[in-house]
Amino acid sequence: MRKNNVMGVVFTNLNENLLPELTQERSMASVPFGGRYRLIDFALSNLVNAGIGKVGVVTKENYQSLMDHIGSAKSWDLDRKNGGLHILPPYGRAGSYGMYKGKVDALKGIYNYLENSQEQYVVLYDCNSVLNIDIGAMVEQHISSAADMTIAYRNGPLPSDPNVIAMEFSDERVCRVTMPENGRINGNYGLGIIVIARSLLMSLVSDASAENKWHFARDVIMPNVDKLIIKGYRFDGFAANMDSAQTYVEVNMSLLSSDVRADLFNRSRPIYTKVKDAMPTRYGIASHVENSLIADGCVIEGSVKNCILFRGVKVGKGACIENCIIMQGSVIGNNADLKYVTIDKGASVGANRELCGAPSYYIFIKKGAEV
Amino acid sequence: MKKTECVAMLLAGGQGSRLGVLTKNVAKPAVPYGGKYRIIDSPLSNCINSGIETVGVLTQYQPLELNDYIGSGKTWDLDRQGGGVHILPPYQKSTGSDWYKGTANAIFQNIPFIERYNPEYVLVLSGDHIYKMDYSKMLEQHKKTEASCTIAVLNVTLEEARRFGIMNANPDGTIYEFEEKPAEPKSTLASMGIYIFNWQTLRKYLCEDDAKEGSSNDFGKDIIPTMLGAGEKMCVYRFDDYWKDVGTVESLWDANLDLLNPNIDLNLADPNWKIYSKTHSLPPQYIAAEARVENSLITDGCEIYGNVDFSILFENVTVEAGANVMYSLVMPGAKIEAGATVKYAIVAENAVIKSGAVVGESPENTVDLDEWGIAVIGDGLTVGQNATVGAKVMVTEDVKDGERK
Repeated sequence: MRKNNVMGVVFTNLNENLLPELTQERSMASVPFGGRYRLIDFALSNLVNAGIGKVGVVTKENYQSLMDHIGSAKSWDLDRKNGGLHILPPYGRAGSYGMYKGKVDALKGIYNYLENSQEQYVVLYDCNSVLNIDIGAMVEQHISSAADMTIAYRNGPLPSDPNVIAMEFSDERVCRVTMPENGRINGNYGLGIIVIARSLLMSLVSDASAENKWHFARDVIMPNVDKLIIKGYRFDGFAANMDSAQTYVEVNMSLLSSDVRADLFNRSRPIYTKVKDAMPTRYGIASHVENSLIADGCVIEGSVKNCILFRGVKVGKGACIENCIIMQGSVIGNNADLKYVTIDKGASVGANRELCGAPSYYIFIKKGAEV
Repeated sequence: MKKTECVAMLLAGGQGSRLGVLTKNVAKPAVPYGGKYRIIDSPLSNCINSGIETVGVLTQYQPLELNDYIGSGKTWDLDRQGGGVHILPPYQKSTGSDWYKGTANAIFQNIPFIERYNPEYVLVLSGDHIYKMDYSKMLEQHKKTEASCTIAVLNVTLEEARRFGIMNANPDGTIYEFEEKPAEPKSTLASMGIYIFNWQTLRKYLCEDDAKEGSSNDFGKDIIPTMLGAGEKMCVYRFDDYWKDVGTVESLWDANLDLLNPNIDLNLADPNWKIYSKTHSLPPQYIAAEARVENSLITDGCEIYGNVDFSILFENVTVEAGANVMYSLVMPGAKIEAGATVKYAIVAENAVIKSGAVVGESPENTVDLDEWGIAVIGDGLTVGQNATVGAKVMVTEDVKDGERK
């Protein structure tokens, strides 16, 4: 893949309605994950690891948290003179009619950004999945197979995300694209990552929006299955779509498996995130930690089992937390007892409190709450 | 361009030979500390937190790791217009070239660098200590007293005073005498090697000292005594917070484990005085079900399946099941294999301790305490299966399976 020949466009507001517990005040891209990340870190890291140096981040609403996280984009090596990261908020274009109705609308909104770019190819990237994928190899396949569009896909049980597309192939070409209503049937499903020539993308977006069509999968991909050569890039590694609160919990917990960690946190394609300058995590004298993923800056004085602890979490003396996901800076008081709880950023659970969810129904404590 | 009031010159060129194999390939300021830091993070962070934005780092010995670590200085907010951090190695001039012959000579050779900023004051620091200090307060006192030179001092015990450069001062803080490692100390104010000079005054003495035959071109041995002898007004600035030398294996180990001491308040992530460091993007640490971790500091990228007690593990360290790490420092990327034991030791970067090996020994199990000390395994080395490395042993090459050292 020739350097500077590919740019990325990342969509950050997707399916917030599927994960309302965590998206009241943030976009899907900002959803914290895995102890120290946000979902957008996977998008940005995968793109940068492929040598892509120009990324447009399309935002729609609730993007303050995201902007704060990204900052100058230095953490992802995207603080550049040539290219770099650009946040593309809505209402950017004169004559736009308000909030984006769909992806096509959003692409029309950033039409100037696309037009003024020099890159030959665009990688469209949906932020709502967690995976570590070699985008470079995907782009190479796109170019060498002379496809008009290449869609990354996986074979397995379909996520219950209603926007996921299912694909059928004939002679290595996508011959049918559907959006099945019932999730969890097995098949080839899109991972929300598409490679397409910039010029083609622009003309497809122009045509669709001229006809007041705004859904990318339904109005751009499906009608063109026969007219365009659409190919698939098969991905067999770990991938998860955040299609529900339960899935969110399960995917985080799957990081407790060393195989999943080795896949997602592939050292040759690291996942970058914002630096926080915390101290290493401190384990106190009576602390007891088992089967848990712990980020920096924590102070653990109690018992932690099967948990994911984000940065700067404090677990008090005598506290006992099992099967929990505790996000950044939250504090668990002395002797508190928590099971099957997800706690958002900056919350606190008082001393001696007991909270008990169930494996299939986690209790979600919202950001800043005081229990 | 905003006028620069004070330029800091950080002496980072020393070999740190007392650290032995730990400084074989890196300069002392680049030696890892505290689980995710390097020694130089302390003075660099102190500079930026004190409002000093122009810092020269004088390197000489094995500077590659240090240069790479410092980079553009962004980590410490020292990637700035009209200032920032600059690496200053010895360089060739039209009149010839010279290695830095002494601490004062290093600054002397960099007079042109300081002149670019034309500051009023120069702060001289070393990269050898762990401490949090607001240099702007020292500068304020320096200005108020109208001293030519202010020397930061730490109050030590009479016993310890024999090991330091001691400042004998009047009640008003002016120094009247300076004694290097006195047998009979007259005061307990030990020089910390941190000086603030009026730049024009320092410049004069540096030039004169360079022309002097037989001078060792050293601040402590030459510049300070000469200035004192010439009647320059020199004052002490008293510092009474945590300050730890990390120049020997024992003191490095000790300074690190101080972070685990509940009686010592050293919060390196204090939002009012953060110590910054540059780390790699690694996933959070994983503590397995069979692991037992207590009273320790562990950071990103570690995978712990064994037992860790009263130790500091740096990034990307693996402790396999059944392995034991106690009272030790395990530096980035090292691996402690199943059933190995590491106690009272420093395991340097990327070293591997193979299964069943025993490194170090507890002082309780040592008959002759003079023979006891911290074991050190040099970076990248392997200690073979079932090998033994005794207390105080410094390993500088691979230890074969079953070997006893």
